[in-house]
Amino acid sequence: MSGIARLLVANRGEIAVRIVRACKRLGIETVVAVSEADQNSLAAQMAWRAVCIGPAAAGQSYLKAETLVAAALGTGCQAIHPGYGFLSERPAFARMCEQAGLSFVGPLPESIEAMGEKLAAVGIAERAGVPRVPGSDRIETIEDARHAADRIGFPLLIKANAGGGGRGMRLVHAARDLAGAIESAASEARAAFGDPALYIEKFISRARHVEVQVLGDGKGHIVHLGERDCSTQRRYQKLIEEAPSPAIDDQLRHRMTEAAVRLATQVAYRSAGTVEFVYDPESRNFYFLEMNTRIQVEHPVTEMVTGRDLVVEQIRIAGGEPISFTQEDIELRGHAIECRINAEDPARSFMPCPGCIEVWNPPQENDCLRIDTHSYPGYVVPPYYDSLLAKLIVHAPDRSRAIRSMGEALARFGISGVATTIPFHRAILAHKDFRDGAIHTRWVDQEFMPAIPPSASVAAPLPAQAAPG
Amino acid sequence: MELSHEDVKKILEIIDASEHLQELELVHGGFRLHVRRGAAGAAPTEERAISPAAPEPMAPTSAPPSPAKLAVEPALGEREIAIRAPMLGTFYRSPAPGEPPFVEIGKRVQADDTVCLIEVMKLFSSIKAGVDGVVTRILVENGAMVEFNQMLIVITTSQ
Repeated sequence: MSGIARLLVANRGEIAVRIVRACKRLGIETVVAVSEADQNSLAAQMAWRAVCIGPAAAGQSYLKAETLVAAALGTGCQAIHPGYGFLSERPAFARMCEQAGLSFVGPLPESIEAMGEKLAAVGIAERAGVPRVPGSDRIETIEDARHAADRIGFPLLIKANAGGGGRGMRLVHAARDLAGAIESAASEARAAFGDPALYIEKFISRARHVEVQVLGDGKGHIVHLGERDCSTQRRYQKLIEEAPSPAIDDQLRHRMTEAAVRLATQVAYRSAGTVEFVYDPESRNFYFLEMNTRIQVEHPVTEMVTGRDLVVEQIRIAGGEPISFTQEDIELRGHAIECRINAEDPARSFMPCPGCIEVWNPPQENDCLRIDTHSYPGYVVPPYYDSLLAKLIVHAPDRSRAIRSMGEALARFGISGVATTIPFHRAILAHKDFRDGAIHTRWVDQEFMPAIPPSASVAAPLPAQAAPG
Repeated sequence: MELSHEDVKKILEIIDASEHLQELELVHGGFRLHVRRGAAGAAPTEERAISPAAPEPMAPTSAPPSPAKLAVEPALGEREIAIRAPMLGTFYRSPAPGEPPFVEIGKRVQADDTVCLIEVMKLFSSIKAGVDGVVTRILVENGAMVEFNQMLIVITTSQ
């Protein structure tokens, strides 16, 4: 068995519940770190113990690295699982855990650091023979930008080197807009990351987002668990994810997963990671976008088609154990879809809806239907954090049956008290373009949303004076 | 311009951080945000399981949780005031190992007196009494980990 007997969960919401479950499967006790607003959370109820780490504001609780390390040491934990978001991709936190003698359930701090700096990550990808989006090096001056733009052509994307979450990102269609966009992107990047460094990439229109799940043992052994397609996005936020991708064939899948494994091998990657690609269906080219060095929200679709538990593997690896399977053991079966059910009102520009869940009546779970959630009847959705209420995941022998069973599951999902994105998901699943697998990452914003008639339920305008419930 | 989810989150964080602010109304184009601290919209956070008239049995993972394992706090008398931990950390009663404690039961303290230390990763914060009075209860063992807002020491005031 691994040397981990007790583990601190440094996160909240559904992923905290997910980690507690994985630990139960491994016979590991859990301590859940909670802010004052989460003291009654489902994860706190399920865990061996909960400790209050600070007030509701994340900056004073979930983002306080020293406090979380002190909480782990003070409760006798040997490991910390950071989940996703919060401290999961902060090299300083991973390092602090190590120095305190705690196993950080994730990669080495050096890997997080290398992948967090986008141009460094691109460099690693290039050394591993993984193509990048045609683009520039570091842009220091407007002159640099002009030279790069001449070579790359318009439209192009300006991105922040310290990047993430679309901040410091600008889409530029013409040369006359370049200088202004560079200036504003640099100041946004400086404000968001403390680093104004930028680079430029060719903008690929009608692209798909396809990402490969990898697992590494930190000793050079890497396996992949196939790809996920996360092209259904609204304003760069993923809404629906599926595995496998409806847009690629076996040959492309082979090339893409091989590229991801080569990249992860290059850094002797440890733990679960995701190599993201932009895929251009027109040219059938794919390009390295970035590598996320954590478990991802959409990991369940991969678990459904592979039958493997990624969080269990992460924890075992952190305890010094090898990956429990080899590449040959991995077989992709059927098709899985995940819908992120958020407490947001699609009828009011997706405004978050904190409040009390009065009715929570999800469909029955079974082998082909899974719900990852921290919600329950009477749960009060706090206004301080993200609006994810649940992830609904279905698994079926093929894509069209998966779409059908997702539609049925959404129709049976009864929630009242807060508005949710369920009607929006149902409308997308019913759309011909989605069913045909003919969408791209801007499809929701550019085609689906504008085409909704004002009277339709998804976008029915409500009186503006209605206050969030 | 439209407000994004992120914008609303930021606004709520700012409101949350300003303790004196009780109510706020923000109008921005066609968008109106009304926030009230402890308002009905945000129902009380105490444990309570509302049982809806469920048309079908709950999935196992969504069953309402068992009553919360909230630490039972000692009840306070009329003139008693609890000093609470301003942060999670290790509780120390004396300035250094082997030195006498800052306070013992029965000791009279003034608001500005240090009563204990809390250490987070080698960073020590001294905790003040906050009120004048007599130390009547010490609720935590020296060297124990305390959670945020946990009661540490009880002071009985003279009025």
